[in-house]
Amino acid sequence: MSWLRRVFFRRAMYGDLSAEIREHLEEKIDELVAEGMPRKDAEAKARKEFGNVTLMEERGREVWQWPRLESFIADVRFGLRMLRKSPGFTAVAVLTLALGIGANATIFSLVNGVLLRQLPYHDPGRLVMVWEKTRDGSPENVGYATYLDWKEQNKSFEQLAIYSDWQPVLQIGDPEVLNGLRVSSNYFRTLGIHPELGRDFLATEDVPTGNKVVMISHSLWVRKFNSDPNIVGKPIRMNALEYIVAGVLPASYQSLMNQDPRGGTVEIWRVLGYDVSQPWACRTCHHLIAIGRLRDGVAIAQARAEMDTIAAALTKAYPKEYDDTGVILTPIRDQLLGAASTPLYILLGAVSLVLLVACANLANLLLARATHREREIAVRFAMGAGRGRILRQLLAENCLLCLLGAAAGLIPAYWTPRVLAVVGTGDLPRIDQVHLDWRVLLFTLSVALLTGIVVGLAPAYRLAKTDVHDSLKEGAKGSGSGSGRRLRDLLIISEVALSLTLLIGTGLLLRSLSRLLTVSPGFDPSHVLSMETSVQGQRFDDPKVVRQYFADVVERLRTLPGVQSAAAASEIPLGGNMDEYGFHAEGKMHANPEEDPSAERYCITPGYLETLHIPLLRGRDISAADSAPAPQVLLVGETTARRIWPGEDPIGKRVKLGGTDKPWWTVVGVVGDVHHVGLDAVPNMQMYVPHQQWPYPDSLMTFVIRTVGPPTSTSAAAQQAIHALDSTQPISRITSLEHYVGLSMQGRRFALILIGAFATIALLLSLVGIYGVTSYSVSQRTREIGIRVALGAQRSELLGLFLRQGVLLVAFGVIAGVFASLALTQFLASLLFGVQPTDPITFGSVVLLLLLVGAAACYIPARRATKVDPMVALRYE
Amino acid sequence: MTKNEPRDLFPGALEMMVLRTLKRQPMHGYALVQLIKRSSNDLLQVEEGSLYPALQRLLKEGLVKAEWGISATNRRVRIYRLTPAGTKHLQREVSSFERMLEGITRVLAPEES
Repeated sequence: MSWLRRVFFRRAMYGDLSAEIREHLEEKIDELVAEGMPRKDAEAKARKEFGNVTLMEERGREVWQWPRLESFIADVRFGLRMLRKSPGFTAVAVLTLALGIGANATIFSLVNGVLLRQLPYHDPGRLVMVWEKTRDGSPENVGYATYLDWKEQNKSFEQLAIYSDWQPVLQIGDPEVLNGLRVSSNYFRTLGIHPELGRDFLATEDVPTGNKVVMISHSLWVRKFNSDPNIVGKPIRMNALEYIVAGVLPASYQSLMNQDPRGGTVEIWRVLGYDVSQPWACRTCHHLIAIGRLRDGVAIAQARAEMDTIAAALTKAYPKEYDDTGVILTPIRDQLLGAASTPLYILLGAVSLVLLVACANLANLLLARATHREREIAVRFAMGAGRGRILRQLLAENCLLCLLGAAAGLIPAYWTPRVLAVVGTGDLPRIDQVHLDWRVLLFTLSVALLTGIVVGLAPAYRLAKTDVHDSLKEGAKGSGSGSGRRLRDLLIISEVALSLTLLIGTGLLLRSLSRLLTVSPGFDPSHVLSMETSVQGQRFDDPKVVRQYFADVVERLRTLPGVQSAAAASEIPLGGNMDEYGFHAEGKMHANPEEDPSAERYCITPGYLETLHIPLLRGRDISAADSAPAPQVLLVGETTARRIWPGEDPIGKRVKLGGTDKPWWTVVGVVGDVHHVGLDAVPNMQMYVPHQQWPYPDSLMTFVIRTVGPPTSTSAAAQQAIHALDSTQPISRITSLEHYVGLSMQGRRFALILIGAFATIALLLSLVGIYGVTSYSVSQRTREIGIRVALGAQRSELLGLFLRQGVLLVAFGVIAGVFASLALTQFLASLLFGVQPTDPITFGSVVLLLLLVGAAACYIPARRATKVDPMVALRYE
Repeated sequence: MTKNEPRDLFPGALEMMVLRTLKRQPMHGYALVQLIKRSSNDLLQVEEGSLYPALQRLLKEGLVKAEWGISATNRRVRIYRLTPAGTKHLQREVSSFERMLEGITRVLAPEES
C-alpha cells in the first residue's frame, strides 16, 4: 500500500481496527454466555484470553506508522510541554545555553567570515605573492627590471603581475583623494576577475604613453558617477590629467591589498605603463609587489625552486645588484589572512571553554531535576516502555532545550559582528562582510545538538536505571545517591578550572595591553593633528615648486592661532609601508652594495622633531639653512647609530643613500627611535632627510601640527590655510595622532575585550553553579541538619560544614585550573607583550580572586543551613 | 502445580498459519482464532489479541485483502482473503519451514544403539 494512501487513510484504518477488535470481543462474550456463563464472567474471560486490548490496538496501529518518526515527534511535543511546566528551570537553562552557544556562534561567524570564506578571486589556491628575500629572510618588494626578467624566464606561472600604491585626486565635485593601485595590464587576469562593464586593461596600454586608462570599483561608480551606464570610454579628470575609464568591476569584488590602516578600500586601478628609462626602474629599487598565478599542475614547491634558480642566475649576471638570497613565495591566503588567523583561533579556543562551562552548569541542573522525575519515569517503565525508548525521549527533551538556547544565542551572534565592526577590531580583514551564513547556522545547530546529547547523557542514563518498585512507593524521596553527588562535584570542579583558565588569559592580556600602553612610541602623540595632501598638476613637475609649496604651507600653519609648531613629513610613524633605502656608510660598505643594510627614510621639513617631540640625542636638528645648494645632511635614529657606528660618534660621518653611485650625505644629528611598524616591534634603522635636499621631493606629504588645545579644534583653520595657498590640492586622512596610535593597539584591545567577556560569563556561570550545588546540598540534607541541631550542634559548626564542602570544591577546581592554564596559556603567547605566559603575578591574583568569590558564593546558601528550625526540618519530606 | 508453559512461536509462524488458514477459506478474525486453536488441537496457545497486529502486517504487505461483510452468525465483520502475492509468500514460507523442521528432526534423532 503506497505510503501516501497510508497517511490519508490511516484514521479510517484505525477505526476499522478498533471496530474489529470490539466485534471480536462481543462475539466471544456472546458465545460464552450462550454456553451458560454469566455475562460478567464471560466478559472477564474474554478479555483475559484476548490479552491487553490497548496494547494490541497500539501494535496494530504501529504497523501503519513510521514508529521512529512518530515517537520522535511525540517526544518533542512532550518535551515542550515539560519545559513549559517548569519555566524557572527552562529560563535558566536557555539563558545558560544562549550564552555558551551564542558566544560560539559569534566567534565562529567571525572565523567563517574572515578566514574560511572563499577569497574573491578565481581559484585563489593558485595565487601566490612573489617577494625577493632580504638577508634576514623577510620578504621585500621587487624592482621593475627584476620583474621583467622573472616574467620572461619563468615557466611555473601562467601570469605574473605587479602593482604599487596610487593615490590620485579625483576632480569631480569636491576633490577627493582616492585609494588606488597602479597595476600591470595582466593584473586582473592574474586574479581572475572580469569587469562587469567595459573591458580589462590591454597590454598595449601598459606603456608610458598609453597608460592613462583606469578601472573603477563598483562602489566608486555608484558613488561618484551615479551608476552612469555610459561611463565606459568616458574621460575623467584626475591629478589635473585626463584618464579614460576602461571598465567597472563587479560589486562582489573588494580588493584586499591594503597597506595603511588609515586608508579605505582600493577603488581605482591604473595601468602601470612603467617608464623603464626612469631611474627608479632599477633592480635595486624595491617598490613594486609581485603576484602570480601558478600554472595548473605546478606545485608551489616546484615554483619556488624554479624562482630560486632564476634569482641565482640574476645574481650571477648582476652581482652588484642582488644579494644571493632567493625568492619567497607566499600563498595569497596566508598573505592576506595569516596575521588574523592566530588571534581568531585563540578566540575560538577560549569561547569553547565558555561552552564547556555552560554545559557543566546545564548538566548539574539536569541532574538535580532528574531526581524529581524518577516517579514519572517509573510509571513509564511500568506501562511497558523500553529503556532505549525512555533514553531517546530524555535526549530529545535535552536537544530541544539546547536548540531553544541556540536560537536565543543566535540573536547576539547576529548583532555582535556589526557592533565589533563599529567599535574597531584592529586589522581583521573582511570584518564588514561577516554574516550569519549557512555555515554558521550549521555549526550552531551541530553544537546545540551535540551539547544536548552530551549533557543529557549522564542524567538520562541515571534515570533509565530507575528501580521501578522503589520509585513508585509512596513517600519515596529523590536519591542524593553517591555517584550522582560525585558527578555534580566533578562538574563544579571543572567549571571552576575552566573559569580560572579564562580569567588568567584575560589577566595576561590585560597586563600586556597596559605594558603596551606604557611603551613610549618615541614621540608624543598628544595634541597633534595630522593631515595628508599630495600635489599634482603640471606646475609641480618642477621639484623647486614642490619644495617651496610645502615650505610655504608649513610656514602658514605655524602662524595659526593655537598652533605651537608644525612641519611636514613623507611618512608619520605607524603609517604603514615605508620607503627604505640602502644605507652605505663610508668605510663600512660591502663589495656588493646589496649587502649593505637599509634604513627607513623620513623626508621632513624643519620643525618636525619639535612638533612630534622626538628627542634629539646628539648634534643638531635640520634647519632652513639646509636647503638645496647647501651640503646634504641627514639625521639618523639611535638604532642606526648603534648598528653602523658602535662606540663611535656618528656626527660628521658620511653615507651614500640608495646606491653607491649617489652623492654623499653627512650625519649632523642623532635622534631617538620611533616605533614605525608597531608599538610591540623593535624599531628598525631610521633616517631623516630634509625635504629641501632630497633629489625627488615627495609630493605626498603629511602635515603634523602641534596644538595648544585639542587638535581637532584647529582642523578647520589648518585646512583653510592649506587651501589658501592652492585650493585645488585636496586634503585627506585628517586624524589626531593619539587616535592613530590607538588604532595600532586595536587588535589587542579587541582580543582583550572578547576574552574578558568570555571570562566574565564563565565566572558568573561557575558562581551560579557553586551556589546551586551548595544550595541543593543544604536542602537535601535538611533533615540531617535538623537532627544535628536537635542534638546540640552549634550554628557555626553547620556553617563551617557546608562552607568547607563548597570551598573544597573551589580549591580543587583552582588547582586543576592552574595546571590547565600552565598548559594552555602557551597558545596565547603571540598576543602577549612584555608578559610571560606563566606570569606568577597574574596567576596569583586570579587564584586569590576565584577563591574569595567562590567562598562568597557558597557562603550564602551555607548560611541558610544555620537558619533551619529543627522542628520543621525533622518533619521535612 | 505446574503446567507446561507454551513456548513462544518463532517470528513469522503466526503469519504463516494465518495465511494457510485463509487459503482454505476467507474468514474474519474471531473465526480465524477458533480455527487455529482447533486445528492445532490446542497445542498452540495463541493470545487472541496478537492476531490483529499480525493481520495488519499482512494487510500492509499486500498478502491479504480485507472488506466488511456479514458473517455466518449475522454479525458485521471484516473478512480477510488471500491475495495471489499471499499465496506465493505462503508457499515459500512453508517450504523453508519444512526444510528447517527436517534439519532439526535429524539432529534430534535418537542415537544408533
